Amino acid sequence: MKRLLLFIAILALSYGFFQSKNFLSIAAGVAIFLFGMKSLEEGFRFFVGGLLDKFLKNITNNLYKSILFGTVITTIMQSSGLAAVIAISFISAGLISVAQGIGIILGGNIGTTTGAWLIAGLGLKISIATYALPMLVFGMLFIFQESKRLKGIGYALAGLGFSFLGIAYMKEGFDAFKATIDLTQYSADGFMGLILFAAIGAGMTIVMQSSHASLVLILTALSASQITYENAIALTIGANIGTTITAILGSLGAGYEGKKLATAHFLINSLTGLLLICFVPQFITFIDYTAPFFAIPAHDYTLKLALYHTYFNLICVLLFAPAVHGLVSLLNHLFQPKITAEGAIDDVLYISDVALDFPDTAEATLLKETKHLYNNVYDIIAQGISVTKEDIGSGMEAEDILKRRDQALHVNMDDYYERRIKEIYGKIINFAIVAQGKFSDISDHQFIPIKNATIGIIEAFKAAKHMQKNMLRYLESDNEYIKSEYNHIRKNLIKHLRTMQMIFNTTEEDVAVLLLSKLQLDAQNYDIAANKSLDNLIRTNKITYTMATSLMNDTSYAYTIASELSKVAHILFMHSSTHVENSSEALILNETEVSDLTHTTSQRSTS
Amino acid sequence: MTGLKFIQKMKELFGLSPEDTETTKKKAIKELIKKLKLRHILLKQELKNETDLIKREAMHDSIKILKKQIKKGKEIIED
Repeated sequence: MKRLLLFIAILALSYGFFQSKNFLSIAAGVAIFLFGMKSLEEGFRFFVGGLLDKFLKNITNNLYKSILFGTVITTIMQSSGLAAVIAISFISAGLISVAQGIGIILGGNIGTTTGAWLIAGLGLKISIATYALPMLVFGMLFIFQESKRLKGIGYALAGLGFSFLGIAYMKEGFDAFKATIDLTQYSADGFMGLILFAAIGAGMTIVMQSSHASLVLILTALSASQITYENAIALTIGANIGTTITAILGSLGAGYEGKKLATAHFLINSLTGLLLICFVPQFITFIDYTAPFFAIPAHDYTLKLALYHTYFNLICVLLFAPAVHGLVSLLNHLFQPKITAEGAIDDVLYISDVALDFPDTAEATLLKETKHLYNNVYDIIAQGISVTKEDIGSGMEAEDILKRRDQALHVNMDDYYERRIKEIYGKIINFAIVAQGKFSDISDHQFIPIKNATIGIIEAFKAAKHMQKNMLRYLESDNEYIKSEYNHIRKNLIKHLRTMQMIFNTTEEDVAVLLLSKLQLDAQNYDIAANKSLDNLIRTNKITYTMATSLMNDTSYAYTIASELSKVAHILFMHSSTHVENSSEALILNETEVSDLTHTTSQRSTS
Repeated sequence: MTGLKFIQKMKELFGLSPEDTETTKKKAIKELIKKLKLRHILLKQELKNETDLIKREAMHDSIKILKKQIKKGKEIIED
């Protein structure tokens, strides 16, 4: 279907180019303009790493700052679509809330009005192509430079140059059209005319994927008197509705949070459009009345259209900014996360194509998905030692949990791996590798440690799986000594898993720093104590040599689980967005420092 | 408001004021040491009232860790 549409579009355009040179000039202008916009966006991405994250952290919990952020980004980039893409990507990664995302979208609507003023005020009044050519030359010069920043400036300059050139071509095409054909004869009056032209405006924006390009086209056509002022207003309303399609397409690869934002964008622009289309004649009078305050001459319809565009978007913000929380509630009701049934195959919750748009979103997504995987592995390790994760989180003493769960819990760990681990693990590793390749300059400290944490989680799972066989056998054994040893392993692992949960749940930095060091100390202490106990049991013939071998192996597996999970907790804590402080890491004790403490502890125990 | 002041204000608004990373890190460590010291005092008090041997052992370990962490932090600040 898509290919057929493309073929029809190529045929129609070719026929149009053959029939009219001016049509070719306008179409080429649009194409060059769109290419310029893409280039400008590319230039922006060179500056994004880290900077955007800082910006977004400072707009947290403040709708008006989000609106300001959206306005600034769109004014600089001249693309509200990009503001929407940023918002969707950051929402999908959980870095900002839906309310903040809506703020960015509303700000984007305001930012887009600056473009209309620039084009109407300057672009159509001066020979813009004169500035385009030097920009292209300097832009190319910068693009060939090694420095990322200079490259970014180069792309931005070239982007602006191409956009200006595109506008010049469109203007030339419409001016030449004026001499041969009068498009105003196809204008439509009345309410039906407004609806028709709004639909055309929405359609052309969907095709071009840029309301900015549509606006340029409308303004150039209006300046060449090829469309009427009323029809231009209707086209502008349509363009504002059509632009939401960019966000909807962008959200297709995003999670349900991204879809919420795309729907919000569509609702905000469509409802404002539908409301204002009913009052176009009244608005024209209002603009005629207010235009002199902005020194806009009565006959300058392009500037009047820019003023209309500004009013439209301001109304949008004024109508919806106070209603953002209500809108979020509605969206929460409409879009809900899918819940994986007990027996069903669990899949990734956060990884999506849009998460790879920016390094910060890729890191946050990777981190969240790794925590999702950890939760599943935590669940199965708990079952592997014949308790449940609810037991561990209950606050009961470890000894009491063991008394309550004195029977072995037969759970198929291979089946669990297939259902709730394999798919997620594979996708995380794949995502991390793609992110490493895409953002190679920062991958060493952002993606590789989290990928290693994922591998550590799986190592812990494997150790738990190996341990489970003997655990099941000896928990039901008549030999009280071996049973007691396995219960000792269980008790230590329960404590370890509990400490891990405390680290993930705490908001106090000092508690987390203390617990992270304690995890390591406990793992080492336990290893020493278990070996001593094992020696004693063998010497006194309280267990058979087969039991001793099993216990020796399983003690080693238990140590693997504890040490791997300690490393995982350390990495996930350090990369967690709420605790990204280098100071914390500096105070967490390293292996040698923990060994020193273990040494003094064992000395105290023996003395 | 002068141009420079305006830029400074905007930087502050978006959290882009350039600060010496070393100073910021030391400041954060100082803050963290304060919290750790407080935690150390609290644990010592709890230890006095604790009668369970296993819990006392765990508290002893935590106090030792805290001592070492506070010492480590002080060394970093003095460097």
